Amino acid sequence: MDIPLVEPGTVGPCPVAPDALQGIKRQQTNPGRWNGPNWPEFAAALRSQGVELQETNAARAIFATDAGGTAHGLPHGVVTARSAAQVAQLLRTAQAFRVPVTVCGGGLTTEGESVAFGGVLLDMSGMSHVIAIDAAALTVRTEAGIFWHSLAEELRRQDLDYLSAPLNLTSSVGGTLGVGGIDVNSARLGCSADQALALQVVTPTGDIVECSDTHNAELFQRVILGYGQFGVITEATLRVRRYTPLRMHYFYYASLRTAIEDLQVLDRNDASDYSGILTIMDCAVNVLVAFDSDEREAAFMADWRPRLRGHGELSFGLRTLIHYILRPWKLGEAWYLLQRKRELFPELQRSEYMHDGTMFDRSVVFSRAVWKFWGSRQMVIPDLATSAEKFVEAVERGNAVCRKYFAHYTLYLVGIRLRPEHRAHYEMSCIPPDAEGWAYGCEFEPMFDDRVYSRDYLQSFKNEIYDIGVDMGASYYRFGGMMKGYIRRVFGDAVVDRQLALKRAADPAMILNRHVIF
Amino acid sequence: MQPRLGNGTARRPADFTACSGCGLCLLVCPVWRRTHDLGLTPLGRAKALQYGARATDIAASTESCTLCAACEPVCPEEIALVAMTLDLRSRLPQAAAAQVRFAHEASNAATAPMPPPPAAAVLLPDRALRERPATLARVSALLGGASRIALGADDGADIALALEAGVAIPAARLERFLQALRRATTIVAADGLLLRHLRIWLPRARSVGLGEALSRLPAVRGRLRASDLYVIEPRAYHADYQRLVKHYDGLRAAAACAFNLDLQRIAVPATARSLAQRLGLEAADDGVQLRWILHGRKIARVVVENLEDGAAFEQAGALPVVHLADLADDGTSA
Repeated sequence: MDIPLVEPGTVGPCPVAPDALQGIKRQQTNPGRWNGPNWPEFAAALRSQGVELQETNAARAIFATDAGGTAHGLPHGVVTARSAAQVAQLLRTAQAFRVPVTVCGGGLTTEGESVAFGGVLLDMSGMSHVIAIDAAALTVRTEAGIFWHSLAEELRRQDLDYLSAPLNLTSSVGGTLGVGGIDVNSARLGCSADQALALQVVTPTGDIVECSDTHNAELFQRVILGYGQFGVITEATLRVRRYTPLRMHYFYYASLRTAIEDLQVLDRNDASDYSGILTIMDCAVNVLVAFDSDEREAAFMADWRPRLRGHGELSFGLRTLIHYILRPWKLGEAWYLLQRKRELFPELQRSEYMHDGTMFDRSVVFSRAVWKFWGSRQMVIPDLATSAEKFVEAVERGNAVCRKYFAHYTLYLVGIRLRPEHRAHYEMSCIPPDAEGWAYGCEFEPMFDDRVYSRDYLQSFKNEIYDIGVDMGASYYRFGGMMKGYIRRVFGDAVVDRQLALKRAADPAMILNRHVIF
Repeated sequence: MQPRLGNGTARRPADFTACSGCGLCLLVCPVWRRTHDLGLTPLGRAKALQYGARATDIAASTESCTLCAACEPVCPEEIALVAMTLDLRSRLPQAAAAQVRFAHEASNAATAPMPPPPAAAVLLPDRALRERPATLARVSALLGGASRIALGADDGADIALALEAGVAIPAARLERFLQALRRATTIVAADGLLLRHLRIWLPRARSVGLGEALSRLPAVRGRLRASDLYVIEPRAYHADYQRLVKHYDGLRAAAACAFNLDLQRIAVPATARSLAQRLGLEAADDGVQLRWILHGRKIARVVVENLEDGAAFEQAGALPVVHLADLADDGTSA
């Protein structure tokens, strides 16, 4: 086999199993393991400063893979973050000894971005304390390793809530701010990363720096949506709001295009407080909307509900029944839809999370359902993020790829309100450069149904989805780790080289999350 | 991977191999709250086992577990996490220390008089309840008195301790304990860990926790105030979560009081103790848990199902504490 030489810091074609790919040059890059020169000296130097370093197999095994379960690697040692000063000690020492440091928050990456292929795994969950809540100013200062749900638990004791966070209880604040974060209110409030007011960051060379839009703004711009390249977020100040339960409505469509068009009309007109689409394949397309107040709900029902082309549950059920009666060869698909409805719908309406028709904790309801019905030891969730205008085509093309590879799958679609003043944050991120006003994202989530798929099969699936992005000038949420071969193809050499130069200046030894992007 | 929706397959009991690393168990784990050390959590144990760790490699983690069982109802893979921890404990050489204690208690139990003829219902108090005869008498009376519920002469305290330590229970001892319960249609158990196993050993009997039994009584629930903090005993609650979450949700709607429940409706343990603390080898330190339960709440009184929890709150000293059984006789109640 002819294995091409690849210059460090660049990405070359992967020679592994090229025949597994379907029509494109393979770009999977599961990084080589760092071989550990200077490790004993580094470990001794770290310990001499009082930094606890765990090297047992049991401690390292916890971080051997991420939520995706397809990238596997072991760190040489694990450091549990306890303070910014300790993280600074670690990074200074790692620079001196050129030891890679991989940062892990909730470990919910799917492409191996939080997996250490040698070196140190920095477990940020050790920094999980809420520092101060200012109920009058509606802000919270928190350590950045905290899970969003743990933050919500604290905020709720003061009748407060975060603005926007991934529908996943164990996403960490720091990890989310580094990559984006979408919620079903992102069409109104923007991505979670846009909620940050200020950060404490430990730079790759070990300086502890406070930054915001007005103070060390350049660092703030680079760290927000920076995929962990320019520093470790150790504390964050976030906007919060008064807590409100929400009232949710579901409308059912048989057409992706129609549902997306209606969703975008709702978003453009600020018709609801929450909006998104969740599907069972492309057979049952569910537009969900929700409201923080009775007034907003009443206004929606009066002004927008009549214009929606979706149906209520009963009406859609009858239409679907007729559809399958006329197509008896699709009985298997009909049976699957019925089973899924019977098992999933009650989970979304569990009485302990609902009171008087309102949902008390959307993240609890959806996150529990996500892990129960979609989670497993392997997950791939390729995505496409486009401008509003390109979104229907991107989703329809991605849907066709899902149909080709898997019997069952789910699509999760949501809009992201863009903040013009944060344009600098968005460079080389999930926000596509041509998006104005809103960007739209779609996650393509195959169901494995107890089948075992090879990593190459899954990689081929992801590649076909991502090729659509290259073809359409889109972007991706998960472009790091094993998908980083697409970075130059989708963002272009000029942008990537500029970011790489910034990275080299900020991180001379290229130690911090070094295999994630570059 | 566990069976998923739409394939028509029932879920199987899962073991550590099914752990996907979602981390939902961390959110409810009292050891995690205290230490923020992933290695001391169910996730840490499962992941270590997946990558070849032996029981002795993760002994500190296994022994730190409080067996509150909060992790089980939140685990999307439905892994039997309590059974996993007990199995790991049984593989540790340290279990021998507890075995000595078990053997001692077993011999005491063996010399105890045989239990009275079984009634339709049997009450199994735990050690703390036995040490409070007045409260025990009130519990018995509230549950119908001697004519309706028999006080188990053999309360299985040594068996509960053996379960806690992961020590094998001699078949003869277990049989002797269960013999007195076989004809009972209802068993009310104060020990949540014992209750979990009674449901397995005696599937035909209706085994309920003391907290549930008392909180269903109008004489008790009618005395709850909106300014109360009601502290659910977590082991019994989490062992039968799907059913009991509805019971306590109803109680919350009726009484409008606060509960030691988090946003996932998981009970936050007041007394979260490691194996060494349960065995009395280390001092208990419930401060982190008590502070978190009380944090940001405006309450006037703590109502407990479990006397050990009550003692911890009394020691904290901030609020009056009352056991559920004492509520019915509380002359100061509205």
